[in-house]
Amino acid sequence: MLPEEMGKISKRFRWTFALLSVFFLAVLAVSPVREYLRAWKRYERDYVRFAQTRPDTKRLLADFRFEINQIWIPKMDVVDRCTTCHQGISQASLQDSSVPEPFRAHPPIAHRARDWGCVICHRGQGLATEVRDAHDTTLAWEQPILPVQYIQASCAECHRQDLPQTPRLNRGRELLAKHICVGCHRLPGIERAVMLGPDLTNIGSKVSRQWIYKWLKDPRTILASDGSVVVNGYESEDEPRMPKFRLGENELVALSGYLSSLQGEKIQPYKFDPRVVAEWEKRPDLIEQGETRFRQMFCTTCHSLAVTRAGETKLIGGDIGPELTKVASKVNSDWLVAWLRSPQAYLLHAEMPRYQWSDRDLFVVSRYIESKLTDTTLLSDVPALGTPTPSEVQSGKQLFLEKGCGSCHVIQGVPPQTDYGPDLSSLGLKTISQLEFGNSRIPRTLVAYIEAKVTNPLSVNAAARMPQYSLGSSDLTALTTALLSMSGSSAPTGLEGLILPARHPQFRPAGTFGELYERYKCYVCHRFNGYGGTLAPDLTFEGSRAQHKWIVDFLKNPQTLRPTLTFRMPQFNIPIEEATVLADYLTMVMQTPNVNLAGTDRKAFTPQMVSLGKQLYEVKYQCQSCHTIGSTGGYVGPNLTNAGNWMNPAWIEEWLKDPQSLVADSIEPRRNFTDQERTALTAYLMTLKQSGPAQATAAAGRGQ
Amino acid sequence: MKPKLTIVLVLVAGASLTPSCHKKVAPEKLDPILRAYDTDQDWNDSERVIPLNYQQAQGKRVFYQYCVWCHADATPAGPSNRSNLNPMPPLANDGAVFNSLSDDFLRNTITLGGSAVGRSALMPAWGITLKPEEIDAVIAFYRAIAQPPYQAPARPGPQYSVR
Repeated sequence: MLPEEMGKISKRFRWTFALLSVFFLAVLAVSPVREYLRAWKRYERDYVRFAQTRPDTKRLLADFRFEINQIWIPKMDVVDRCTTCHQGISQASLQDSSVPEPFRAHPPIAHRARDWGCVICHRGQGLATEVRDAHDTTLAWEQPILPVQYIQASCAECHRQDLPQTPRLNRGRELLAKHICVGCHRLPGIERAVMLGPDLTNIGSKVSRQWIYKWLKDPRTILASDGSVVVNGYESEDEPRMPKFRLGENELVALSGYLSSLQGEKIQPYKFDPRVVAEWEKRPDLIEQGETRFRQMFCTTCHSLAVTRAGETKLIGGDIGPELTKVASKVNSDWLVAWLRSPQAYLLHAEMPRYQWSDRDLFVVSRYIESKLTDTTLLSDVPALGTPTPSEVQSGKQLFLEKGCGSCHVIQGVPPQTDYGPDLSSLGLKTISQLEFGNSRIPRTLVAYIEAKVTNPLSVNAAARMPQYSLGSSDLTALTTALLSMSGSSAPTGLEGLILPARHPQFRPAGTFGELYERYKCYVCHRFNGYGGTLAPDLTFEGSRAQHKWIVDFLKNPQTLRPTLTFRMPQFNIPIEEATVLADYLTMVMQTPNVNLAGTDRKAFTPQMVSLGKQLYEVKYQCQSCHTIGSTGGYVGPNLTNAGNWMNPAWIEEWLKDPQSLVADSIEPRRNFTDQERTALTAYLMTLKQSGPAQATAAAGRGQ
Repeated sequence: MKPKLTIVLVLVAGASLTPSCHKKVAPEKLDPILRAYDTDQDWNDSERVIPLNYQQAQGKRVFYQYCVWCHADATPAGPSNRSNLNPMPPLANDGAVFNSLSDDFLRNTITLGGSAVGRSALMPAWGITLKPEEIDAVIAFYRAIAQPPYQAPARPGPQYSVR
């Protein structure tokens, strides 16, 4: 460069300088512009603009600040910025579906969204301030938003006990228990029955090899002989608990051979009283009595029978025990009689009660089952299978172990299997990279993985050992929800303080009552101190409710208090001594401190009280809308015709005060009775006594 | 050099600005039934399923525990008590009856009983048994299953009034 040119700025230099200035300005502007265009800022500006169009702008903008909103829950280690964009989340006036997202209010729920944030329930990345990062799977975050239909899975994060508010989750847990998923998988919190599948130690003495073959081939077609009958109706999703194992022909032959070789001790045929047998020989019409007896004993409370009406086959009856439509084609007759006499002699943990049979009853009922509940064509499509050869037995035993049968079924002498399937205790927290999709064509999400595994295990892994279940779509959603709720044992983050654990109470009384309690399996239907079934009334406070004499009479001859119910207490033929023991225990032990039996004197009831009570019952409160007295009234509550002989007056008074304090889920409305009204109603109800005739007719119906 | 430089400048500026542009994520089109918290079968149409949100689902639970016995023709435990009553209670999904009744009226009827609002005393008072939010949930459930469908009143509700 020449010295005279120094200090002079050339035209070219000016241009370069100008362009560079613009360039640097632009580069410097990038950052503020990007900052200005951030998604959350855009949404916040939109929200202000939107709020100004609403009539209650002031309230909508009362807490608004132009910044990232954050909810921090240190105990759960959660930071949640969702409310930055979802500004209207707790504004009641933005509930309407015409409000555009993301400003719409959350539908009312039990928890305040502003306190708990969103990701605890909905999952997703709470920290994110970009739409995609927050909702979807990204490289840095593999737990996307949980689809809404599975949202109840998140409730289980803290509420380990079943909540009435989460029906889908509860159903899913019920299905996990019912389909015995705990046989192969570790699923904490899911109940594990004492007996998962039947003990097969003596299975050869119960059923034939042909039947085993057919059952193993497809446990679903046992009911429908032609395979075309659609079983729906009472419990439309009722399924045998045994899944389908996709066994080949050779495997079926080998397994059925092995199982039918498990004979155990030979069953001695029961020797009936020869007079009973002789009577039967002379009178073939007695089979009708067998059926009558079967119905009177209310076997159908636990067992169902298929009934075909108008071309549609329905299962009618309970689902505690197996359905019995073709049971005589399944079990042999000596086994049947032995089973009816003492189920626990064959299966130690059977839930079937041990009835008190008279020879005549046992004879007619077993003959009824053998001759009517049968189907000669049931096994017609099974190939001829002879006595199993030693090699079949050997390979069958091998298969029994390989297929994981030992996870649910016990055979004495065969080591039980544990942890056959993968541990699912933290399945709900698994990320995509932890799941083995292989080459399958399912979407790469946790939900799709679980649903594919449950509906068709082979679609995920062609060599899957898991058997085939067939679930309806609503059950599939429920089961998936329950599996998604499996969040394992939490890390020590202080979350323990928030978890409401599940309780599994037990009630195992001792002594003579304990023996009878086990014999008649009271707990299968009734509930005692939170333990037991829910089919029949909760007996936790039965001693406060019922009078001793009434309990004895009821046990001798159970009559339903609710005439519309199809399920009734079976007729156990309980002898008087046993009934007295049961009633003694119930009245002495199963009491509530809220009811002071000595506190109410029934002699103090005056005729004036009775007539006032009658008037209150019939006119002011119109109790007859739900309760029946005599032949008039509703069917919702129990029949009160015999209330005076049935209930203790102190119980009635307390019940009228607060029914839910005595039976938590009672549907009786709690009313605002005055003390005088309550006493009057009690006095009236105590005058309602039925003298004998109903019981006499029922006893006559027993044909004894 | 000039054109080259300009192109580079434009590219650099463009590249740095692009990520800040708002990405349009295609809204997921999901079946509303699938996205529902819970569902209930339409009583008149076995094909149709009604999606329920959390509140309506709680209403469904309360309904099937307490109300179904008299306000439906079929109950979980067999035939209904409805035909047994005189006057016969309306069906819960009967929009012709319920759509014209306001939320406040229904709330009063459920809370205080039929006799308190000049209706039949066969309808008991549920105000002590059920919590206020449970009663609101039942009303929300009734609205959800109404046939013909329920239309919320067009004028602003009490939520706009000064409290």
